[in-house]
Amino acid sequence: MSRKWQIGFVFIIMYLSLNHLMYPKLIYGLTEAGHWEVVVCQGLLQITLIGIYIKGLSYFPQQDVIDIYSKMGKLVAFILLIPFALSLTALIGLDIRIHTEAINLFFLKRTPYWSVLVLLFFITTYTAMNGLSTILRSSTFIFFMILPLLLFIICSSFMNFDWHNVRPLWHPSLDFLLNKNFFHLMGYSAFLPLGFMTYKTKLTFGFIFLEWVFVMIIFLSFTYIPLLIFGEESVVTLSFPMMEAMNSVDIKWVMFNQQTIFLGLSLIGFTIIKNSVLLWIIGRIMQKVLKWKRAKASYWITASSVIAFILALIVPSRSWTETFFLWCSGVLVYFMMIIPISILIYGYVLNRGRVHYEES
Amino acid sequence: MGDLVSDIQNLFSVQGDFFIGKEVKDKTAIYIMGFSTLIDLPKSNLYVRQIAAASSSVKELFTNLSDKLDTDINQLKKAILDGKLVIISEGGKHNAIVDPVSRNLTRSVTEPQSESPLQGPIDAFVEDIDINIGLIRKRLTSERLCHCSYEVGDLGSRKVSMLYVKGSVPEDLIKKVDQQIKQIDADIETVDDFNRVFGRRRFNLVSHFFQTELPNQATHSLRTNRIVLFLDNYPYALVFPHLLWDMFSPSIDRDFPSLVAYGLRALRVFGVIVNVLLPALYVAIISINPEVLKIDLALFVSESRQGIPFPALLETIIMVGLVDLILEAIVRLPKSVGPTITMVGGIILGQAMVEAKLVSTLLVIVTTAIVISGSVVSGIPNSLYIRLLRYPILIIAAIYGILGVFAGFLFIIVYLASLTSNGIPYTAFRMNRKEDAK
Repeated sequence: MSRKWQIGFVFIIMYLSLNHLMYPKLIYGLTEAGHWEVVVCQGLLQITLIGIYIKGLSYFPQQDVIDIYSKMGKLVAFILLIPFALSLTALIGLDIRIHTEAINLFFLKRTPYWSVLVLLFFITTYTAMNGLSTILRSSTFIFFMILPLLLFIICSSFMNFDWHNVRPLWHPSLDFLLNKNFFHLMGYSAFLPLGFMTYKTKLTFGFIFLEWVFVMIIFLSFTYIPLLIFGEESVVTLSFPMMEAMNSVDIKWVMFNQQTIFLGLSLIGFTIIKNSVLLWIIGRIMQKVLKWKRAKASYWITASSVIAFILALIVPSRSWTETFFLWCSGVLVYFMMIIPISILIYGYVLNRGRVHYEES
Repeated sequence: MGDLVSDIQNLFSVQGDFFIGKEVKDKTAIYIMGFSTLIDLPKSNLYVRQIAAASSSVKELFTNLSDKLDTDINQLKKAILDGKLVIISEGGKHNAIVDPVSRNLTRSVTEPQSESPLQGPIDAFVEDIDINIGLIRKRLTSERLCHCSYEVGDLGSRKVSMLYVKGSVPEDLIKKVDQQIKQIDADIETVDDFNRVFGRRRFNLVSHFFQTELPNQATHSLRTNRIVLFLDNYPYALVFPHLLWDMFSPSIDRDFPSLVAYGLRALRVFGVIVNVLLPALYVAIISINPEVLKIDLALFVSESRQGIPFPALLETIIMVGLVDLILEAIVRLPKSVGPTITMVGGIILGQAMVEAKLVSTLLVIVTTAIVISGSVVSGIPNSLYIRLLRYPILIIAAIYGILGVFAGFLFIIVYLASLTSNGIPYTAFRMNRKEDAK
C-alpha cells in the first residue's frame, strides 16, 4: 500500500472519528429543514480551505507546516504552533472523554470512566510513540476492518427509516451561514494534519477531493439516519443521536442485541488513530520548535498525553465536556483558517520573489 | 620448522581422538594426523599409501596428495579442526592438507519434519549447508542467483550463507545485511542469536526470519525479492525479511487454482482471528457484557455455565492453558506416547471436566475451535506467537468486556505494524523490487 493511500485512509478515519458523536447534533441545532444544505455548505467551505492548503503546501515540497513556519521566523513558529499544540492537547483529552462517556452509556455501565480513559490513553500514546509510519500502516488495517462494520450498520438502519421524516427537503433561507455554530462545525474537520504528514509524499487536490466525496456521503448518512428514524422533533432531544439511532435497530438473524456495539467499536478504532495522529503532531511540533536537545518526541508525546488525561479526568460532567469541546473546536477553527491561508500567501510571495530573482 | 610435528602434538595433547600415524617413504618418515572422529582412518590411510606407491619421491607424493602445500602452523591447526588430514614430512620440510575420506556425519535429504507439503515436492533441507545450497541451485539455475558465504563466531566458527537473486533485491538491503553479518563477533548458537544481529529487541515476539524447511518455499522467496540465509548445522532456510503475509500464503498454495488458493488464505486469516479473539470474546460476553447477546442466546450461555465454581476468566485460562500444555507435551514426547496423551487429554478436557462441572460445554466448543484454528498458519514460530497473543487480550477482555477485546486487537495491530527489519515493515504485503515497501 503506497503512502499516499495510507494518508488518504487516515484522512477519512480522522473525519469519521470526529463526526460520529457531536456533528449530527450541531446540524440539528442549526436548521429545522433541508439539513443537507448545511452539510453541503460546510463541505464546500472546507474543500475550499483544503484547496488553499494543498496549493500552499505545494510551494514547499518535502517540507511540513513546522518547517514552513520556521522559515518565516522562529517567533512566528512559536506564536502560531505552540498554541496550536496546546489546543490539540485539549482536543485529545476532551475527545477521548466524550467517547468514554458514550462507551459508558452504551456498553460499560458499571465500569468507572477513569479506567476506560486509562485504556484509551495507553493505546493512543503507544501508537503515537511508534511514529507516523506505524500509525499509517495500522490505520490501513483498521480502516479495512471497520469500514465493513460501518457500512453494515448504515445499511441495517434502513429498515427503521420513515421516509416522511425527510421533509421538508428545502430550506429557503441560508441564514444558518451567519450562525456561529456553523463555523463551530468546522472544528470537526481534520484536514490540518495533512500538512504534517505529507512531507515525504506529494498529495494532489484531485486525490483529496476523492476522499472528500467519500467523507461527504458518510456525513450525509450520519445526519440523515437519526433524522429518518426519529423525526425532526425528537432527534433534537437526543444526546448522541447516531448511537441512539443504531440502538433502535434490531435484526433477527444477528446474534447481537444492539447494533450500537458495532458503532461503538468502530468509534474506538477511529478515535485511537485520530488521537494518535494528533499526539504525534504535538510531539513533532514541540521537538522541532522548542529544539530541546534532550527531549525526544516521545517525551513530549507522553507529557501531552498525561496533560490530556488529567484534563479528561477532571471535567466534572457530560454537559461540561460538551461545552469545553465546543470551545476547543472553536479555537481550532481559528487555526484552520489561518494556517492554510498564511501558508498560501507566504508560498506565493516567496515563489514570486524567486521568479523575479531568476529573471533578473 | 623441525618441531612442527611435536608442536601440533602438544597442541592437541588433551584430545583423545587425535591420532598421529607414521609412514616411511624413501627412508623419510612422514606423519599423518587428524581427528579419528571426523576422518575415516582405514580408508584415508589406504588412500595415502596408494598415492605413495604411485609417487616416485616424497615431494611428488605431497604434490599428488594436495594442492595446499607448505602452509603455516595456524592453518594446519585449523585444517585439523575442520576434519582434514594433515601430512608432515620428517623435519617439517614439507606439509600438506589433504581432503580425507570423511566419516558420514550428515543425513541425506529426507522428508520434511515440521511442514507437510500437500501435493508438492517432499524433499527438505538438512544440516549440511552445502547440500542445502545445492537444493536451491538445482531449482534456480540462473546466473543471477548470488551466494555469499561467511564464517562467524568466536569459540567455534560457524558457516553462514546468504543467497539472493541479483537485480531483484534492493542493493542497499544486500549491503546492509552483508555488513551486519560481517560485524558478528559473538558465537551464533541459536537462531535467536542470529536474530539479534538484525537488531532484535529483547521482548519481541516476531523473528526477523521466516523459517522454512522446504526448498520450494525458499526458492519462491528468492523469486519474490527476498534474501535467504543458511546456518551451518541448521536444517531450515531463514528467509529475510519476514513479512506478516508469509504465514498465510505458503508457496504450496500456488499449485492449486488461484480461487482455491485465495479461499485457503482467507480461511487462514479467519483462523488466526478466531484463535486470538474467541476466548477473549467468551470471557467478555460471559462476565462483562452479557446484554449484547440476544436474550435467548444469553440465557443459553448462562444456562451452560450453571453450577460452575470458577469465574469466566479463570475457567478460560485453565482450559486454554491445558490445551497449550498438551500441545507442548505432544511435541516433546516420543511418537509412541503422543497419541496416549492426546487421548487422555481429550477425554479429560472434553468430557470429564464438563461432567465434573468445572467448565461449561460452551467453553469446550470454544477451546476446540481455538486448538484447530491455531495451527492453520505456516511456520511453527508463527503459530506459537499467535498462541501467545491471546493471553493479553484475554486479560484485557476480563476487565473491559467487548471494548477490551477490540482494544486488545487494535493494540496487536499497532504492535505488528510497528515492527520493521532493516526498514522493511513486517506488515508489508510484498517486497518491491526498486524501493522498500512502505
